Amino acid sequence: MGQDQSGLSSIEQELAELIVRTLKLKIHPMSIEPEAPLFGEGLGLDSIDALELSLAISQTYGYQLKSSDPEIKAIFSSLRALAKAIEKNRTK
Amino acid sequence: MRATSLIGPYQPDDIIARGQGTPRTVAQFLSDVSSLADLLPDCPTVLNLAASRYEFLVGFAAAIMRRQITLLPYSRAPYALRRIADDFPGSYALTDRDEQREEIESISVQIQQAPSPVSLPAVVPRIPLDQVVAVAFTSGTTGNPVPNRKTWGALTAVARATGSRLGIKERDRVTVAATVPHQHMFGLEASVMLPITYGLSMYAGRPLFPADVRSVLMDVPDRWLLVTTPLHLRACVADGVAVPTGGLVLSATAPLTVELARQAERQFRSEVHEIFGFAEAGSVAERRTIAGDEWKPLDGVRVDQEGTAYVVKAPYLPGPVPVPDHLSLLPNGDFVVHGRKADQVNVAGYRASLGDLSAKLLQIEGVHDGVFVLPDGETGLVTRLMAFVVAPGKSGEEILRDLRAHIDPVFLPRPLVCVPKLPRNETGKLPREAVEDMIRRWREQHDGEV
Repeated sequence: MGQDQSGLSSIEQELAELIVRTLKLKIHPMSIEPEAPLFGEGLGLDSIDALELSLAISQTYGYQLKSSDPEIKAIFSSLRALAKAIEKNRTK
Repeated sequence: MRATSLIGPYQPDDIIARGQGTPRTVAQFLSDVSSLADLLPDCPTVLNLAASRYEFLVGFAAAIMRRQITLLPYSRAPYALRRIADDFPGSYALTDRDEQREEIESISVQIQQAPSPVSLPAVVPRIPLDQVVAVAFTSGTTGNPVPNRKTWGALTAVARATGSRLGIKERDRVTVAATVPHQHMFGLEASVMLPITYGLSMYAGRPLFPADVRSVLMDVPDRWLLVTTPLHLRACVADGVAVPTGGLVLSATAPLTVELARQAERQFRSEVHEIFGFAEAGSVAERRTIAGDEWKPLDGVRVDQEGTAYVVKAPYLPGPVPVPDHLSLLPNGDFVVHGRKADQVNVAGYRASLGDLSAKLLQIEGVHDGVFVLPDGETGLVTRLMAFVVAPGKSGEEILRDLRAHIDPVFLPRPLVCVPKLPRNETGKLPREAVEDMIRRWREQHDGEV
């Protein structure tokens, strides 16, 4: 898994771009801290963002997030965790 | 004074809630309510923050039996809870297991997971129709939450009228599942009051993602009724959710387009109905979206013109309630809605005034000028607000951090744009065209930028 100076792997970069584009955030994707929380503090995303993001992830990677997944909090905890879950569960 | 039963025509073994461990029977529910009612402190008002719809219901019912009023916070943000707690001194909070809030004394709703032996026959309490049981909050003109008191009579009348309009019969084998929070007025009416008034089952969890909606509706052993919003419907349609046929979709909080309604009817293989309402009056009217623009008032409800304004009248309302939208009335009493009045915005079902939001922005130290706007023609599931701010010496991040303490997160601007000045005219006003121009210029500059 390649990493450049930003410290992000290629799937993390791709996901960071998807997040910024989908949620219209006014930040550079490379500025997302891979281990920082995405929701609440950190990027400050809310449950509507979670819904929008889940849709983008489902359409891009074929991975359908479920809030009944016992790991869901961990999956959404950071860019890195979310990228890992996508790599593990993607179908496209 | 007349009174009605706390819950509708159930038998003790009927299932009142699913998705909360093992299915809860009515007998268990009544025992859960009476145990909790014994534990509640002697306070006039309670903030019910329970995330489980069943635990919320147990807390709501226990509070009613103790003649306490349930406050329905429009947001779980700490500032909002503190605000309500300040306005209603002597309140405490009901929370889910293990959740402690800093803002307010909390008690958690403890439901015995193992079905406890229930002493029968359980007596269903009767509640006076004029008892105030809940307060829903709306944002006022000054930005302070305005309380709207709801009587037991109003909540049960709306539930009854909604059910009859949807063709629901008492003790139908229907499970109501909802993506909307039960602390929201529509959520309370359609996903809590509707099932308990008609003797239906409710699903305790709150599905968020399309895959959740699918698995909940697949698990329902009888017919389903999905209480939801255009936002969730759009996500479910986009994701191609497949569900068992024979259900019913009930959407509210924002208008559904005919196109989305048609797609949703196909996707859910069910009729899609909509409710028009607002916190001050509750649910007012219903329509099947693909059948036409006209809203049919619920039985017992009338929309009347008074001068240039429109008001809702119903026997259970204390007086005529002004409608916050522009509408036109048809001779048969039906009406067509033409959109929110200027300044009123709806973001993902949450209503606010742009003026209030801008006022909050201006209160932030270091902000010289600023305005919230709702951009046109946005794409995506939900249109977010933008804000333009003049604050030399402050960064956008700092302003956002300060704003977060004062407004609900759904209204946080996306993006917040720092500008040297706003295009105010000589009278100090911000003409709509100048604002649109500013948005267009900002977009041109940032187009293609990731």
